[in-house]
Amino acid sequence: MAREQTEVRELQEGNYVMINDTPSVITAYSTSKPGKHGSAKARVEGQGVFDGGQKRNFTNPVDAKVWVPIITRKQGQVVSTSSGEMQVMDLETYETFTMRVPDDLDVSADDEIEFLEYEDQRKVV
Amino acid sequence: MSQFPGANAAPDDAEYAVVGAPLDVSTTFQPGTRFGPDRIRRFARTFDDYDRRTNSFFTDHSVHDAGDLHAWDDAGEYLDFLEADLREWHDDDVTPLLVGGEHTVSVAGVRAADPDVFLTVDAHLDLRTEYDGNELSHATATRHALDVADEAVIVGARTGSPEEYERAAETDVTVVPPEDVAEWTPDLDGEVYLSVDIDGADPAFAPGTGTTEPFGLTSREMRDVVRSVAPHCLAFDTVEVNDRDDGQAAALAGKLLREFVFTHAAEPSA
Repeated sequence: MAREQTEVRELQEGNYVMINDTPSVITAYSTSKPGKHGSAKARVEGQGVFDGGQKRNFTNPVDAKVWVPIITRKQGQVVSTSSGEMQVMDLETYETFTMRVPDDLDVSADDEIEFLEYEDQRKVV
Repeated sequence: MSQFPGANAAPDDAEYAVVGAPLDVSTTFQPGTRFGPDRIRRFARTFDDYDRRTNSFFTDHSVHDAGDLHAWDDAGEYLDFLEADLREWHDDDVTPLLVGGEHTVSVAGVRAADPDVFLTVDAHLDLRTEYDGNELSHATATRHALDVADEAVIVGARTGSPEEYERAAETDVTVVPPEDVAEWTPDLDGEVYLSVDIDGADPAFAPGTGTTEPFGLTSREMRDVVRSVAPHCLAFDTVEVNDRDDGQAAALAGKLLREFVFTHAAEPSA
């Protein structure tokens, strides 16, 4: 599994974190003070990286363990496109895979793209 | 901590959520807003569940009491945490009912709700940029709200500094002085955040507040403002109740919160 463990207190806005088993980017991070009868908590708000930005959040003690997905930014080359899908070659490993062409992207064969990858999920940057 | 009477709904079934925010760090005269949420819950115990006007029961309006969000002395940090908490309710289509605490907590409420209009019932303009060097003082609430909302309407305002009146003269601020409130009807453009600072009421009706200001509104005038504005609202708060009376301020705040719910539930987003 391409992920590592950290404590909630180590997180900050812009980091990746798993929320409900979904790789998410942190959009807001705020902490509470414990008072006499509680523990300091952090409220983490995030948006899914690969699911169109679905909002998720959690509140946990700052010393709780969380998983951080290791998301890599990679270069690819478009091999071919057809009916809303494209064949892309990873320029590092030379493996090819199929991706849906995002609505806001106009690509043709030989174009180079940047994408984020986590396990078998990918998203064009 | 007791529960707000009749706020029996489970979080997952809630349409409304009472959130206590007992912030009490910038009160400038009589402190005690840290006891506001407790007092308001306590003095709401005597109210009937049934509301004749709307022919409905408070317990049927799916109000959840989320308890208090423990406050500490760093107002900026606290407002961030409170804002995130309130945003979570908004994301679940639940209308927050924020119970202060000093008026500063409204800043978090407004940031979470992102309204077009900030409408506050208040004796004070609260348009200062800072008070005693503090940019997050209770006397700055309306100015901070204007960073989010396009316009502010201040109902019942009767005091402020020359600089505040200068700011209030600009086109994005409307001041309705106490003598005009009875005849006032709202003309609101967009979604509204309603903030009831209990000192908008005359001190005869609500002595338990930090900075009492005579020549204020009657409790019935306060009620009518809440009724007329509630259908347009994204969120509600009532603030600045402290423990320095026999429960008058808390009873009025709790009753206005209930009026908000009864009216809003009967005609949501008019």
